[in-house]
Amino acid sequence: MKQFTYIFLSIILVVTSGIDTFAQDAQTLLSKMDEVMYSPKDKQGTVQIILTNRQGKEKEREAIFKQKANKSLYRYTKPETQAGIATLSLPDGVMWLYMPAFGKPKKISLLARSQAFTGTDFSYEDMATTPYSERYTPKFLEEKVDRYMLELVPKSDKSKYSKVVVALDKENYYPIKMEFYDKGNRKFKEATYTYERIGSYWNAKQVVMADLSKQHMTKILLTNVKFDQGIPDSVFTVENLVPKEEKK
Amino acid sequence: MEKLAKTILKLRWLITIAVILITVFLAYQIKFIEINSDVVSALPDDDPDVALFKKIGSDFGGNKIGMIIVEAENIFDNDVLLDVQKLTDTLSLLDGIASVTSITNILDIKNDEFGFEVGSLIDVYQLPYSEEQLKQLKERVISKDMFNGVIVSEDGTATLILVTLTNDADIQTAGRLLIDKVESLQLKEKLYYAGMPMMVTAISELIASDLLKLLPLAFLVIAVVLFFSFRSLRGVLLPLLSAAVAIIWTLGIMALTGYTMSMVTNNIPILLLAVGSAYSIHVINKINQVKEADSRKAILTALSYIFIPVTLAAITTIVGFISFVFGSYLTMIRDFGIFTAAGTFFSALMALFFVPAVIDTFSFKGRKIKENKSEGRDSLLAKYLLIPLKNLLFKHPKYTLITWGVLLIVSAASVMLIKRSVDVKEYFKRSNPAWQAEEIMMQKFGGSKPIFVSFKGDLQSPDVLNAMLKTEKMLKENPNIFTTQSIADLIVEMSDALGEGRKIPSDRDKIEQMWFLLDGNPALKQIVSDDLDEGLIITKFASSDLSEKKEFVKEMKQFINDNSHGDYEITYTGIPFIEMKMDASLIQSQIRSLLIAILAMIFVVGIILRSISTGVYATAPIIAAIVVLYGVMGLTGIPLNIVTVLVASIALGIGIDYSIHVISQFNYSYRNGKTLHDALDDTITISGKSIFINVVSVSTGFLVLVFSEMVPLQYFGILMALSMVGSGLAALTLLPVILILVHRKRLS
Repeated sequence: MKQFTYIFLSIILVVTSGIDTFAQDAQTLLSKMDEVMYSPKDKQGTVQIILTNRQGKEKEREAIFKQKANKSLYRYTKPETQAGIATLSLPDGVMWLYMPAFGKPKKISLLARSQAFTGTDFSYEDMATTPYSERYTPKFLEEKVDRYMLELVPKSDKSKYSKVVVALDKENYYPIKMEFYDKGNRKFKEATYTYERIGSYWNAKQVVMADLSKQHMTKILLTNVKFDQGIPDSVFTVENLVPKEEKK
Repeated sequence: MEKLAKTILKLRWLITIAVILITVFLAYQIKFIEINSDVVSALPDDDPDVALFKKIGSDFGGNKIGMIIVEAENIFDNDVLLDVQKLTDTLSLLDGIASVTSITNILDIKNDEFGFEVGSLIDVYQLPYSEEQLKQLKERVISKDMFNGVIVSEDGTATLILVTLTNDADIQTAGRLLIDKVESLQLKEKLYYAGMPMMVTAISELIASDLLKLLPLAFLVIAVVLFFSFRSLRGVLLPLLSAAVAIIWTLGIMALTGYTMSMVTNNIPILLLAVGSAYSIHVINKINQVKEADSRKAILTALSYIFIPVTLAAITTIVGFISFVFGSYLTMIRDFGIFTAAGTFFSALMALFFVPAVIDTFSFKGRKIKENKSEGRDSLLAKYLLIPLKNLLFKHPKYTLITWGVLLIVSAASVMLIKRSVDVKEYFKRSNPAWQAEEIMMQKFGGSKPIFVSFKGDLQSPDVLNAMLKTEKMLKENPNIFTTQSIADLIVEMSDALGEGRKIPSDRDKIEQMWFLLDGNPALKQIVSDDLDEGLIITKFASSDLSEKKEFVKEMKQFINDNSHGDYEITYTGIPFIEMKMDASLIQSQIRSLLIAILAMIFVVGIILRSISTGVYATAPIIAAIVVLYGVMGLTGIPLNIVTVLVASIALGIGIDYSIHVISQFNYSYRNGKTLHDALDDTITISGKSIFINVVSVSTGFLVLVFSEMVPLQYFGILMALSMVGSGLAALTLLPVILILVHRKRLS
């Protein structure tokens, strides 16, 4: 009897610890991914956004960006008609827009977080600077030769996604691919990442987001990327949105 | 002829088996027939209005716009909004649907305490629920032209869910899928389906249910008529069988060649039944009449005699149908002409080859006509109808002429009163939800018929955008246009929200930078091109009235003339204009095909009866009957539409057979030595009987259409029956009088 209880208890222990292990794994893995993606103290560079529609026609935008913690500033340089436009994203989903032709910066409401970010296939939700661990509940799916597969379920019911399936690089924990599923549980978007090493950090050199239903693609290319340049907080203010030359 | 008849009987087994095999093969093909009642796809692509309409459909993500009308006591209620959202979300996921717009996701540009936003009118994650929130929503909707009367009716009792189908979607499949999905949600609000795609779906389903219901009924009805006429198994079975074979062959070939069944071609089965059975009736009737003890000899004699008249009758009917191929604007009508001509040919083929072969093979017994002295002169028909008729004609030929003359004058005058109708809504009975849906659209939302005005030019230029606004203002001045939407309106809204005032910014830079926020918004795809070089003004025209549409076109042309500019190009199209074309084509088609039919008829009949003047005599009474038919249409208000336009030519093709009968019989008797009087006596009593049976069976076949769910088909049935009766009467009264007068003149 004692022996039986002993064996029984140890089986339970192993099984439950196994479950725990898996859960920890998923949470740990997601945290490790967040570390790779969000660990730099600040980041700046040039971003090129290329939009391709179903007929293969391309539209290009270019901006200089500065990012620190959960704040980011984009100043657009291309196309010419939109040069000078700047956006400032602040914590809690606050966003400010500066359009040179209009002068004063305007606060932008982002109640519709699932809306596309200015014609790209990325929604405001996708562009958020909050770590994934804070926004999603992870579940371990499987381990493959070169990657881990995780299933992320959004914590907020305002998300457009029912789940996001992430492929994480086994060695370096950066995301290789993310598959986005809509509320009808159909895969409708897919993001592919290309990471490179810069100094002690991993940089997403290129991200391609494909909208499978609209047959539309957005490619984001980061160049001239510099990390930890000590960007001051004053950069991420509304006053700073307006370029110095225009301030009278 | 005798030789031919002998050959037919010799090959009877071959004929019977061949027909059975072909029939089985083609019957199987019918499985693959598709129904397509999309009127727009049947329009000729070389018509500029149609071409532009289709181009806008492919460039701007669809001109196939359907609406679901949600009716409730008050739309501004949290439960109703939740249901609308449920519908919107569910339908967006369906196959064949490009976009769904409703009050829960419609684009709105606002600037409030949360900031500036190009977003949606309602927060999709938190629909308004408090009284205050609902009141605010209501106020905002009523205050904005882009919502009021567009997505919610002015009285707040109805809201629309606009569904755009993908350009390559099959309308029926997508439509059915949509309706099924909506019904499965079991919402408590009253729902209606409006707009062209929904009407097309509804019509296709009516076509299918009509065929299933009416065709068997028609068979039954004609079987009854045949029974009373022949009182034998072969008299009932063979005409129905040969008609069925002809129908199967025709539909089978339609399926094989990929032609679809439309709201015009769906008449083919009943038409072939009514018309085609007539040929077999002739053949069997003749076999019965021949005084021959040996059944095979009887068949041979009858066949030799009847072959030419039946062939001639078939040829004239086919000519009537072929006239549509040349006369018509709509491909549906042209296809109808081709296939009914083919079907008629098959019917004649069956009557002359299959029926005798079968009778001989299976030794089908019939009933011989027992009377040997006067061939039915004592029958009821003769006593109460034919003999009195004959007496009337002899005593008062002039009065008969005068009566017809008066009838013709009155009818000709009434022709002016004929109405025309191309509005698809008129296909439905008023009790049908589809009709009611269109009524609601008309009353609460300014109609369901879209008009697209295209502006080609630099859409970031303040001048071009202002020109668009000016055009919209002009459009709204028309009493049939209530709301318009365009990119210019959105720029104005945005300008207002940015604190620049309700106008197009005069600074081009500002417009260019506004695009930063507007870019990629799904609502824009439908009103502006990707390159910002073409924009649409989308509006709806509330009236179906032709003169109002013409007035509008005049104003539009004038405006474009006065406002044309090097910087932009304005063109327009829309369902109302396409309907105008269809309307104009109706009259053209009618006149053209009728003229072709008449000329061809005179010619064909003249050739075979060896005298053009005889061709004229034969055709004249039927033309008279047709004029009377038009008169009836004018007086009763039965409109000319794409189905009733077929009546005249078909009636001509069928009615002429009666004339041919009369003239053949008359010539036969007269040339065999009988006096004028006796020849006519023979004609009326002998031909009279078979004409009578024919008129009755064909008319009853057509009258079955009165039970159709589609209004034009009901009219078609009534008109065809009327024209058959009219032609029969004309052949038995007017024609004999003409013959009497002609021959009297000749004699004196």
